[in-house]
Amino acid sequence: MTKDHRTNVRKLPPCRNACPARVNVQGYVSLLQRGKLEEAVELIRQDMPFPAICGRVCFSPCEDACARTNVDQAVAIRAIKRLVADVEREHGKVKPKPIPKVHNERVAVIGAGPAGLTAAYELAKLGYPVTVFEGMAEPGGMMRYCIPEFRLEKFVVANEIEYIRDLGVEIKTGIKFGKDITINSLKKDGYKAIFLAIGTQQGMKLNVPGEDFDGVVNAVDFLRDVALGKQVDVGETVAVVGGGNSAIDAARTAKKLGAKEVLILYRRSREEMPALPYEVAEAERDGVKFHFLVAPKQIVGENGKVKAIECIRMRLGEPDESGRRRPVPINLSEHQYKVDMVIPALGQVAEATSIPEELLDKTSRTPSMQIDPVTLETKMQGVFAGGDIATGPASIIEAVGAGKKAAVSIHRYLQGMDLRSGREEVEETTWVKNWGYINKKERRYEPPVEKPRLSFEEAREYLENLKRHAMFEAFRCLGCGPCAECLANLELCEGDKAVVDEALCIGCNVCAVVCPFGAIKKNEKEIAQVNEDLCKGCGICAARCPEKAITMKKLPNERILSLALATVKG
Amino acid sequence: MEADKYNIVCFMCNWAFCQEEMQIPSDLNIVRVMCIGRIDPAIILETFEKGVYGVMLVGCKPPDCHYIDGNLQTERAVKMLRKLLKLTGLETERIKLLWYSPTDEKTFAYYAKKFLKEIKEIGFSPLRREAQKSKLLVNVLAAKNAASDFRLRVLLGREKELTEGVNVYGEKLSVEEFDALLDEIVTEEFVRHKIHVLTKTEPLSVKALADVLEMKTANVLRHIVNMRRKNMIALDHVEGTTPLYKALEVK
Repeated sequence: MTKDHRTNVRKLPPCRNACPARVNVQGYVSLLQRGKLEEAVELIRQDMPFPAICGRVCFSPCEDACARTNVDQAVAIRAIKRLVADVEREHGKVKPKPIPKVHNERVAVIGAGPAGLTAAYELAKLGYPVTVFEGMAEPGGMMRYCIPEFRLEKFVVANEIEYIRDLGVEIKTGIKFGKDITINSLKKDGYKAIFLAIGTQQGMKLNVPGEDFDGVVNAVDFLRDVALGKQVDVGETVAVVGGGNSAIDAARTAKKLGAKEVLILYRRSREEMPALPYEVAEAERDGVKFHFLVAPKQIVGENGKVKAIECIRMRLGEPDESGRRRPVPINLSEHQYKVDMVIPALGQVAEATSIPEELLDKTSRTPSMQIDPVTLETKMQGVFAGGDIATGPASIIEAVGAGKKAAVSIHRYLQGMDLRSGREEVEETTWVKNWGYINKKERRYEPPVEKPRLSFEEAREYLENLKRHAMFEAFRCLGCGPCAECLANLELCEGDKAVVDEALCIGCNVCAVVCPFGAIKKNEKEIAQVNEDLCKGCGICAARCPEKAITMKKLPNERILSLALATVKG
Repeated sequence: MEADKYNIVCFMCNWAFCQEEMQIPSDLNIVRVMCIGRIDPAIILETFEKGVYGVMLVGCKPPDCHYIDGNLQTERAVKMLRKLLKLTGLETERIKLLWYSPTDEKTFAYYAKKFLKEIKEIGFSPLRREAQKSKLLVNVLAAKNAASDFRLRVLLGREKELTEGVNVYGEKLSVEEFDALLDEIVTEEFVRHKIHVLTKTEPLSVKALADVLEMKTANVLRHIVNMRRKNMIALDHVEGTTPLYKALEVK
């Protein structure tokens, strides 16, 4: 393997590399192997504040990347995360201590969705006073208002937001951005940096005739009304148009609210659906019917109410820029479905009114603003934006990733540092190159979809059982990453790092040559320097240093020797 | 001390370690380290000096290593150690390098027992027998010092760079060339450190040293000149016309 000496490249296992929030997957899985559940949750919280939420609804890019897929199936990473987070909650809510504010610069975050809350969480951990402004009555954004209760319980969302609040983040709800507050008013109030994480709230229109009939409700509005507890009437037969996760959510919600028949109309085929396969399977189990390769042409109404939806058949043509095959209409294939409700679920765009005039990108078709993809800066100084507003509707974990990025930028901005240079780059590394001798062990742990109602005793047994199964699952992890931040709690490697005795170092460069991670480099004084972020504590440098200038903090040569000679007597 | 206990140290990579399968003989003392590459060659020689009968190094099966090439680094170190051990007169089989994975068909205990059997066949460490002790101890000490000294360690650390890459002059060493170089330097360093150990207790003449080392006086003198340059040794006094040398403390 060629060695590279770029300083800011972190070599990560495939799962962590695939995660937009860079959650230390290998770490918490291996902590679970040793039965350390609390530590596992803590480790997840180091990287993001939503273990229980992501344990339920994350689209788990980590599992797609998992090296175990080369042997049999991926480790059930999401299920493991859900378990550790749930067990922690069942054992009594953890109340973190507020983090002391070491900085004076106040930061305002607009929007209490996953991106905004993560940014607030990260900044609070750095010691900034952060205020989050939320337009709705409760924080949580799409996590609370768009994901239905049967996929993500509201109390789970509330619980994780409570944790962020306990850290000392102030969350003000019911304050509309653009109406109650503006960027200028915030700046006047003394906020030194502002993070716009307003998301995309407006459901996209079908753009077919008849969209104004009574009974056409956009998926976002439909889900939000249900989440708000409003009286929502669903018809006898409901057509949901679209193939994403919100289409599935809307269809399943409609079914659970009493619709006799729910159809999902999607213009491509099953393979191209953006929705997660297991969500689709769940929807089918709920009795939702799928119609593929159909696109709505118009909505037929009677007395101002929806009567039917007219569709046209499609076939798949050449792949488009997204790599999926483009649907092409088939002439004279119009047909009607008799429905009394149509739910378009074609994705969301930002509300035009939500973006401040001075930031609005007038060249774009949809309301958006220009955002630097690396630093998340906008055109205005001290104003950052990220999350769905920057990327278009995406996932929770991507929003979390954006929130973390924003926190780094804001911290650098407030401290007068360069925003761009030396930002962390990551690269995938695994030590496993030979799959031949790994025994196949099929994945067998999937969390139950719905928790059964149990008595107290039964519940405890149930939980213990789950824990045991999850530990079995954790042992399927190959630990294929370049080592082991994961063993952080073991006596052996707890933060073991190489230390250079500058008086002894002669600058021979042997350590830099042997270090597998390029963590050691000579500084301008020709003395070796250890980059503690990259050092994994293997100690190869300490074993090779010709002048014995490098020692390990936890496991120096003397300790190895005394351990080795412990049984030798006389 | 139990007379029939064979002291064996087993340095083991944390990643090759598997607790459930640890039904190993009590003669083995397992020391877990993060990577088997962590083991300094000097540590291994010191354990021999203290009377350990055998050392087993357990690392992950190449090409797998949590530290990319830690196990291969160990392989290089073991190659050098065997050369040194041969010079000391100890059996080279006392060092064993095992590539192991917890998912292996055979348990670790199997390999541990096998190694124990091999060591039993070789017998007790000669360092335990008083008659041979003094001579061997000097050798092992010399080897240990050689392994902790600059030259061998640089060579060891740079092996990969030298044999796989090219140096600043655009030259590349073949593995055979490097091996010959290593042989030469190991022998030189061993002899020099042996002279150093021998002259530590009392000043010795070149002639006396040549007798102990079973070498030509001219060669011994060459080493002494080299060692004087490196401040390892100094002229103590002259007896008649014979100069006697005494070791200096190294750092």
